[in-house]
Amino acid sequence: MRARIQIIGRQLLTLVAVCLFGGLLSASLVRFAPGYGVDERELDPRLSQASVEAIRNSHRLNGGLLSYYGHYLASALRGDFGTSEWLERPVSSLIKERFPVTVRSVVLGVTLAWATALGISLAGLFFGGFFLEISGTLASGVLIALPTAVIAVFSVYLRAPVFLAIAVVMFPKLFRYLRNLLAEAYAQPYILAARSRGIGQARILFQHVLPLASPALFALFGVSLSMAFGAAIPIEALCDSPGVGQLAWQAALNRDLPLIMNLTLLITLITVAANLLANVAHERAL
Amino acid sequence: MRSRGVLRGISAVILCVVFAAGLFAGAVAPYSYTKQFRERVDATPCASHWLGTDSLGRDLFARLVYGTRVSLLLAPAAAFLSTLIAGVFGGFAGLVGGWSERLILAAADLSMALPLLFVLLALRALLPLDVSPLVSVIATFVLLGLLGWPSSLRVVWAATKNLRNSDFLLLARATGCGRSRTIVRHVLPNLQPVMFAQFWISIPLFVLTEATLSMLGLGVMEPLPSWGNLLRGLEDISAVSANPWRLAPLILLMVVVVCFQLILPTQEETA
Amino acid sequence: MISRLPRNLALLILLAFAPPIGAQTGGELHFCLHGEPKTFNPVLVDDEPSENIRYLTGGVLIRLNRQSQALEPALATSWTISRNRRTITFHLRQGVHFSDGTPFSSEDVGYTMRMLMDPETHSPTGDAFRSGEGSVEVQAPAPDLAVITFPAPIAGLERLFDQVAILSAHSPKKEMAVLGPFYVADYKAGSYILLQKNPNYWKHDAQGHALPYIESVRLDIQRNRDIELLRFRRGDLQLINRLDAEQFDRLQHENPAVTRNAGTGLDAEELWFNQSPAAPLPEYKKAWFGAKEFRQAISMAINRGDLCRIVYAGYAKPAYGPVSPSNHFWFNSSLEEPKYDAQAALPLLTQAGFRLENDSLKDRAGNRVEFTLVTNSANTAREKMATMIQQDLSQVGIKVKVVTLDFPSLIERMTRTFDYEACILGLVNTDLDPNGQMTVWLSSGENHQWNPSQKAPATPWEAEIDKLMREQAAAPTDKERKAKFDRVQQIVAEQQPFIYLINKDVLLAVSSSVVGAAPVVLNPPGFWNVETLRLGPAPDLGAQR
Repeated sequence: MRARIQIIGRQLLTLVAVCLFGGLLSASLVRFAPGYGVDERELDPRLSQASVEAIRNSHRLNGGLLSYYGHYLASALRGDFGTSEWLERPVSSLIKERFPVTVRSVVLGVTLAWATALGISLAGLFFGGFFLEISGTLASGVLIALPTAVIAVFSVYLRAPVFLAIAVVMFPKLFRYLRNLLAEAYAQPYILAARSRGIGQARILFQHVLPLASPALFALFGVSLSMAFGAAIPIEALCDSPGVGQLAWQAALNRDLPLIMNLTLLITLITVAANLLANVAHERAL
Repeated sequence: MRSRGVLRGISAVILCVVFAAGLFAGAVAPYSYTKQFRERVDATPCASHWLGTDSLGRDLFARLVYGTRVSLLLAPAAAFLSTLIAGVFGGFAGLVGGWSERLILAAADLSMALPLLFVLLALRALLPLDVSPLVSVIATFVLLGLLGWPSSLRVVWAATKNLRNSDFLLLARATGCGRSRTIVRHVLPNLQPVMFAQFWISIPLFVLTEATLSMLGLGVMEPLPSWGNLLRGLEDISAVSANPWRLAPLILLMVVVVCFQLILPTQEETA
Repeated sequence: MISRLPRNLALLILLAFAPPIGAQTGGELHFCLHGEPKTFNPVLVDDEPSENIRYLTGGVLIRLNRQSQALEPALATSWTISRNRRTITFHLRQGVHFSDGTPFSSEDVGYTMRMLMDPETHSPTGDAFRSGEGSVEVQAPAPDLAVITFPAPIAGLERLFDQVAILSAHSPKKEMAVLGPFYVADYKAGSYILLQKNPNYWKHDAQGHALPYIESVRLDIQRNRDIELLRFRRGDLQLINRLDAEQFDRLQHENPAVTRNAGTGLDAEELWFNQSPAAPLPEYKKAWFGAKEFRQAISMAINRGDLCRIVYAGYAKPAYGPVSPSNHFWFNSSLEEPKYDAQAALPLLTQAGFRLENDSLKDRAGNRVEFTLVTNSANTAREKMATMIQQDLSQVGIKVKVVTLDFPSLIERMTRTFDYEACILGLVNTDLDPNGQMTVWLSSGENHQWNPSQKAPATPWEAEIDKLMREQAAAPTDKERKAKFDRVQQIVAEQQPFIYLINKDVLLAVSSSVVGAAPVVLNPPGFWNVETLRLGPAPDLGAQR
């Protein structure tokens, strides 16, 4: 028991450390990338020299990056996540508005992709139909060959919601992996034995196949969540959906340091947490 | 099984043809990819322009052929780079375990979480202005390779872990096989199929990533064509329904990616 | 047992003859903003979406009629400017109330001016009034009289008040209490802004009906132009304020009734060479860019006609100077319009010491003439123009490389590191009066792009432009100002510090359900007369829905 807590404690510590380091890394990336600290407003000929100077100063990081990061962490602990330079609003309210949109799209998309992939693979294995098999392989083979951006553009044209685009992006990768995994599980000698004994399909599925495949399934789930979040950025940017992905893209284009830092922390947290959960479930199942 | 072999054969032939067309682009394409035929802008396919012309009057077939060169010749280079990095680090993590394993896995997770698009944006802007477009293309693909290793890493790591716990390796250690000898004579040869599979899978992935990047404006710089560049025209769907031949780069891309998948041995064959 | 038929028939006849009131007032106008508005406080506005909202909600003292380009009284019924052009006295309209009922008086004018001139506020509107050292004084001797005194005379003073939306000094709603035709009723960040008709709007039409006719305006936040066009086609939106030339062309072929071309706009696209001494460029390149014959030859070798025809589908005109011909008063029509002549460019280059050798141009020292042209990556029209210029210049043996950068990186190179050779960008001209561009023409200005923030003018012609710009700012009559600025345009045409390329047309899409739309060239082109727009019945979209 104690060893368990120790392991979980260590993993949580790793999580926190990775997130903090990720935040610092993205902050330094933005700070030292070309184009930091410039503002489009400087080019407005109507502004006086004093105004342009004031705008330039507002973007300067006084005191170096590390102290800036330190201050940010200190205020974050108090609940103040800074203010977006580009949108001039508190980061926390921006994320609070947009996060639910992205979460909804990602969760619905991943659920739909999993349901379809599982459905088709299981149906193929249960009924052993050649047709289902071929159509699934064909669909996934064709869909995986479409670049994410093209899927996004098509979904705009067809007025499809964002989660559908995410599902279409995730489905082929999931299907192929799931199909192989389940086929392997079903090919195990004792499953074959159970089937020959006449034990019902449903019972075999839930009592034997799924427990056998579950560690890999959990790992896949963790990876698919992070992949979905990664795909959400170009999809939201191209579909103009008001989620976190579009915010991240616009923030990158505008070199908005507070916003990028917060968003990287958020996405790192989600990715690493998803992988952590997958690992924990993996080990528990073992 | 036989049908699979036939499919594989056809895919190989298609890939070879496309590769050759890209390699010998100068001979295949009737014009240079930069020449603007200003009197024949947005032309429909005809005898002198097999796929018509784009909005600046450049021959689309020539651009497609030269674009094939960029996408198909550089994606394997990027795939090679990323598989190499994944192999080295994944193998190390799997074999050694302990702190370094945790560190490498955490680094992989972090890499996946970092805004890749932003890194590319920043690195592109850092390039000096007077490099030729070819150098900037190579730089883009090298960057993709350097940043694309996390997904391959986990696969290699898992495979190495399995190997480490496998019977024959235990046997080798028990019989006094040295560390380096174990690695060279036993681990590496067994990792080879995994690495090759990853390399092969990564190629179409990098082609697709480059396409997405170019559609966002971060890919290969004009006037050098690439499949992604050519796909930018798809962003305006209504234009495409009026000029359906503009879908040619997408169709070529999909055909090539599907062929890549078909050539790879399936799970049943490797089991 | 009474038959229903005669009754229904009677009803039908009645309806047929009833005045179509429902179609004439009310309804919701639906169009898009291309970005998130940063503020609703009119004093702080510095981006386009916020400016659009300010136009729709703000009440101003003097309104510039976008169609006639003349000034009209709005909240001020009349005004006088003192002899020394430092004081302006407004007679204010009486009986006007803000949208929440608070009465309007000269106190509000004073409050607004004080907010605007606050040294902590850095807005383009306020900066336009900062003509010299010292503060701006506002006196409100009577509720309907406001006197504003500036530290130094300002050229074109009255027109600047078109941008000053009056804030309420006393209202508890602060800047949300407005005097314009609409007020902000609902705002969902990232999604939309809903404006409702202001019940207290002071303006009435000729028959005495209250304006605006429309009940509400819904502004969606939509960055993607293709999606916007798609929604317009589906009937979601009734107006697109700015269409790309390609989109306009396609829409024109499908449904010409909805497309409107307001004419050649004020915006220009220009190319310039880096002439800053701080640039990290080799000396021989600086010598090329500093030679006026080089710049003139490049200007001659660029085929502007092709640029207009191919990149803008014909919806643009070649530009040769900073002022667009649509700016009737300020355009110098006496300037000769140079023609595209690649052949004449070569002798000019030879004159400057260049020579053509094996299809490539070389300078005196034997260096191959080549340079990199940068522009911003988000703008496909500029990328295309750069690519076409690349081919044009290859005909005189010059090798051009085109590089696209994201905007912040580009600005950094332009304004901080000066690490670029040539650049193409557009100048957005919102103001007819060239006085608003002082920082562009003065050699000490930051926006003097080719060589900004000079301590002293680097060349005699820049010194002359400095002198002329200062003189036009101080000149007492518009005619004298025009004479000075005409001379500035002449110098620019000779020296070509900016090589102007094209002036775009202002293109809009207006649904046939919008009655009374009269698109113009000045901002905002589609809804400048929003208070007199009406919404008729929606056009029958049939199968399109």
